[in-house]
Amino acid sequence: MIPTLGYYSLIISAIFSLYTFVIVIFGINFKSYPLVKSSKNSLIVSSVFVTLSSLLLLYSFIKRDFSIEYIYQHSNRSLSLTYTISAFWAGQKGSLLFWGWTLSLFNAVLILSNRKKDIEFFPYVISIVSFVQFFFLFVLIRVADPFSKTFDSVTGKSFVPPDGYGLNPLLQNPGMIWHPPTLFIGYVGYTIPFAFAIAALISKKLDNEWIKSIRRWSLFSWFFLSLGILLGAQWAYVELGWGGYWAWDPIENASLMPWLVGTAFLHSAMIQEKKEMLKIWNMALIILTFTLCIFGTFLTRSGVLSSVHAFGETGVGPYFISFIVLCLLGPFLLLIIRKNYLKNQNEMESMISKESMFLFNNFVLVGIFFVTFWGTMFPVFSELITGSKLTLGISYFNKVNVPLGIILLILMAICPLISWGKTSLQNFKKNFIFPIIVSGVLTVIFYAMGVRKIIALIPAAFIVFVIMAIFMELFRGTVVRKENTGRNYFISFFTLIWKNKRRYGGYIVHIGIVMMYVGMTGIGAYSLEKDTKGIKPGETFEIGRYKLLYEDIKYLPSNTKEIVYAQLKVYKNNKPLYRLRPEKNFFPNSEQPSTEVSIASTLLEDLYVILGGYNLNSGVASFKVLVNPLVIWMWLGGIVIFIGTVIAFWPNGKKINPAVNSAVNFNIENNQEIK
Amino acid sequence: MNLTAKQKKVIIGSLIIIIAIGYLIYAGMRDTMVYYYTVSEVLSKGQSPGDKGIRIGGKVAENSINWNEDNLDLKFEMEDEKTREKLLIEYHGTLPDTFKEGVTAIVEGKFSGDKIFHAKTLLAKCPSKYEAKKN
Repeated sequence: MIPTLGYYSLIISAIFSLYTFVIVIFGINFKSYPLVKSSKNSLIVSSVFVTLSSLLLLYSFIKRDFSIEYIYQHSNRSLSLTYTISAFWAGQKGSLLFWGWTLSLFNAVLILSNRKKDIEFFPYVISIVSFVQFFFLFVLIRVADPFSKTFDSVTGKSFVPPDGYGLNPLLQNPGMIWHPPTLFIGYVGYTIPFAFAIAALISKKLDNEWIKSIRRWSLFSWFFLSLGILLGAQWAYVELGWGGYWAWDPIENASLMPWLVGTAFLHSAMIQEKKEMLKIWNMALIILTFTLCIFGTFLTRSGVLSSVHAFGETGVGPYFISFIVLCLLGPFLLLIIRKNYLKNQNEMESMISKESMFLFNNFVLVGIFFVTFWGTMFPVFSELITGSKLTLGISYFNKVNVPLGIILLILMAICPLISWGKTSLQNFKKNFIFPIIVSGVLTVIFYAMGVRKIIALIPAAFIVFVIMAIFMELFRGTVVRKENTGRNYFISFFTLIWKNKRRYGGYIVHIGIVMMYVGMTGIGAYSLEKDTKGIKPGETFEIGRYKLLYEDIKYLPSNTKEIVYAQLKVYKNNKPLYRLRPEKNFFPNSEQPSTEVSIASTLLEDLYVILGGYNLNSGVASFKVLVNPLVIWMWLGGIVIFIGTVIAFWPNGKKINPAVNSAVNFNIENNQEIK
Repeated sequence: MNLTAKQKKVIIGSLIIIIAIGYLIYAGMRDTMVYYYTVSEVLSKGQSPGDKGIRIGGKVAENSINWNEDNLDLKFEMEDEKTREKLLIEYHGTLPDTFKEGVTAIVEGKFSGDKIFHAKTLLAKCPSKYEAKKN
């Protein structure tokens, strides 16, 4: 009953989204307000039904209805409530439903916040978002029905199994609760900026209004994408047990690619707002970002590339490939047709200006995207062209992207110190002397302390530079405010940020990014790794300044899982510090163990221990031990990015929420002729 | 088309960046490109071409895993997904959790004269769902 209801809700939802798409086009053509209004309402109805369908699936998960194949395959009776809920997005069908559901909610928010009569621009947005919504619903109904029944492979009849397979132990980690939904929210969110861009192209309302009205949506999506990637990196670090956070796996790259292009867009959109430049470039970036979000969703859900993470091959491939082609060809064709409307109003004044720095930043970001795309797709390309499959290893990505990443860091360092338009030599000297001195002195100190690797010293120097540059910005602004308002430094500092939320929010995000660079540099340049084998209880082994005493190994059975853990006492410079307890867990129903690494984290370094193998009878065990310097700064950087984004996102008090009204304002402000 | 001096500068700057990135890609690829074969392709080719390592993908054959937990030495047979031909693989180190009979694995390494492939890295694909124990 409930599965049928869930499936029919999807069909009804799809019908309403299709109706929206058709009727809004009529509405636009006949300039009929009632039709547009009807389309808005029907899209909300579509959202209601896909929500109903999602809640039914969730309900069936909680009720443990194993007659539904998806639930049978991804959960079982011993699974905790939290992981039962997160099993919703553990597989392909549920993930796609989650995509469609999230999109429908965003669409509903979009419509409800743009209720005013607007026939000129907003209907185009509706047509795009309703089409995307329809696409996902259509795929769900056709090839990825999450409510399909469990069939017995022998008799071919549907049946209700007494218990489910359960959730893959690797997925039973807090990462599973947060990483997929945040990443999906980021992916889905980019639908809205994309829709505004296409709407602007179709409707020829190509001044800066569209780019202003999507600022928040793109910041929002960018933030969730960043968070999703970072949570995924952390999950990989603690769960997959290779001691690293990033392996340039195709699926990881799939999430990084839209982030890179989306980050480029976030910056170049600012130039368009301020200088009316880079209009075509911005269009191209946002179209590419959205397509890459779809591509990312698709890569994870297809068997195109061999990946550690990939789900099995299924029938969604052809649908996604057609959709991706449509998402690229249509908009880029449109872009060519409309290119005369997208002339730059201004020219680059100087090569040493904020604009040109932003442009370089864009080139580098898009460059890293291209490098990553090329490396990810190379097996496919090489097979198409030469007939044999060639792959590029992790070292390809590191060799190419690390230098580019450092260039990006350098740009981040000098950009705040350079003004819009032109920078005079005078200004240049005044701004640069202080950061150069501080970062120079600190780099020498680092060198004296034993940091000798060039691959660590260069980032270190520029990390200091970035922080100094931002600090100087804040300091100068605070002093000026103090002089003008007469308030104390403390109040001046906070009002400075609060009156320029966007600018300083952005700088705070930069500090967060730089903190991540600290972590990446530390682990990249100075990670230690050691494999030890055949260690008997009571024996010790060393790594770096640490000495580890292997005390013993224990077996701990319980109802839900069996745990084998080794106990190690850790000494640093011969002083006992703490105990570590790397584990292997075994779940009933699963042949696959789940390795739980044990990590002692400090601001300086992580000590990371994996239980490799063991013999319970003799007590002999093998360990993999790593010392990963500065890793924690990556996760701390994530928190700072969050704070910065919230500040940049926060609406300015006086104006009525600009994002909400801007679509309406399109009509009002946008009457000038485009020649 | 008349270009202003500034436009020319931007174009030259962009070209330099594109060439630089192109060179980085070329240099990066030159050193790290490896062939990816299925088990049957490798067997039909004989041994590893040249000094460079290769990657091999295939299924971990049933009842072929020989895992010495004390020494972290692993031997297993990799089976071609289609032809079912088998290749003996040796590996030393900790195993990925997902490694077990029947899963798809990717190894990277070299042949060392004999018919045994010495894998330096071992990846196992994580299935999205449980493969239930067969009773």
